[in-house]
Amino acid sequence: MFGYILPLKQDLKIKEYELFMAYYCGMCKSMSKRLGQMPRLFLNYDSTFFAILLSSISDEMPEIKGERCIAHQIKKRLVVRKSEIVDYAADINVILTYFSLKDKWNDDKSLVARAGMLSLEHQMTKLKKKYPKKCGIIIGRLGKLSELESIRCDILDKVADCFSELIGEILCYEPLCADKDTEKILRWIGYNIGKWVYIIDAFDDIKQDIKNESYNPILLQYSYDGGDIDEFKKSIKDKIEFNLTYTLSEISKAYELLKTNSNSGIVENIIFMGMLKKTEQILGTGSCIAFE
Amino acid sequence: MSNPYEVLGVKQGASQEEIKKAYYKLVKKYHPDRFQENPLYDLAEQKLAEINEAYDYLTKNSNSSNSVGSNGWNNKSNSSDFYNKVRMNISSGNIVLAEQMLDETDARNAEWFYLKGIIFMKKGWYDQAYSNIQNAVNMDPSNFEYKEALNKMNMSNNSFRGNAAGRGYGAGPDLCTCCQCYCCSELCCDCLGGGC
Repeated sequence: MFGYILPLKQDLKIKEYELFMAYYCGMCKSMSKRLGQMPRLFLNYDSTFFAILLSSISDEMPEIKGERCIAHQIKKRLVVRKSEIVDYAADINVILTYFSLKDKWNDDKSLVARAGMLSLEHQMTKLKKKYPKKCGIIIGRLGKLSELESIRCDILDKVADCFSELIGEILCYEPLCADKDTEKILRWIGYNIGKWVYIIDAFDDIKQDIKNESYNPILLQYSYDGGDIDEFKKSIKDKIEFNLTYTLSEISKAYELLKTNSNSGIVENIIFMGMLKKTEQILGTGSCIAFE
Repeated sequence: MSNPYEVLGVKQGASQEEIKKAYYKLVKKYHPDRFQENPLYDLAEQKLAEINEAYDYLTKNSNSSNSVGSNGWNNKSNSSDFYNKVRMNISSGNIVLAEQMLDETDARNAEWFYLKGIIFMKKGWYDQAYSNIQNAVNMDPSNFEYKEALNKMNMSNNSFRGNAAGRGYGAGPDLCTCCQCYCCSELCCDCLGGGC
């Protein structure tokens, strides 16, 4: 589920790239300060994107400072500090990681996942107390998702809906949602991001899921008959591409309705270029060749 | 009213030509057609109204005939009462009720599939939306409304790609062949390894 949302680095301005990394480092530092060392290992770019997206529409003026850390002992790095949005995104990073590990443990009985899960148990108790409503909704949506998985639901939209609503809820960062219009837009952006991630992840996992005989709604919806995998992928490529591009176009339209500040360059890079590039990479369309 | 120059994104004291250009660009961006089957329709409409107001103010034109109006959902006179009611529920945002009404009836004609498609669209179930509207078009190929809705879905993707290209996506030498390893590993290196 993680690692699909990235900027297209070659098209970022250098200052945007620096700022993106400052947010990334800021999240890492925020975790170590408030949640301990363990969660830092699970930091991902997707949550960094959430932090930048939310900060691009808030009035928050975070402090940016050069700092050293464990990984960078010598050269100082720019770090976003004292940002409540970064703290929130860092918390979300931990919550999502925890549930994704839990899912892996339940599905595959992966011991690595179990170990990771246990290492975050302590932080989760804290976070569940801090965000009781959000955690309740996340657990509810994930419960619905595994219910649909267990009855082998064959409607991609229906299964993706759970995860989409989950991300929609996450993007509704409370201090920004005092304004109901903003909340509606953020929820819609989140919904579509969740949808995009779910579908692209399902498509990306086709080969593996066939091998492991795991559940994958794409295989059911397009009735995979056990034939050549590449042929099957080719036959549904257009459909999946339509869906993925459509969610991106909805994200971009909704984002244009928000009042944004200077961080919006990075967000637009990610929506219009990074996510589109990823779509083409995973589908093996455009000028990209498929990577296996 | 907020600062009309700010709304249109032009400098204070911009020329009429500049104002006009900025205005048309914004109208294109927030045009109701782009948001027709979208839960954020009313917000786009609000934004457009704001833009229109600013434009009218700056062009010293109190009658708003200059600006672009929005065209909301029109009830089709040739639909039956039942479908009109469904349409009304859709346009007032009562998606759950509209869907329930459709599910409870046995008729499965072109309009049924079309409206079902529109409801899916509002829910963000684009895959289902597309196949339902496609169904409606197949059943009644002469209906302009159904065809239009299908076209719009296809157009939305094209306009997104156009927008991406406008920002420089896909231009210049293609660094793509190395991007999977390049983007990810370099980003990783940059944060953990220290700028390799």
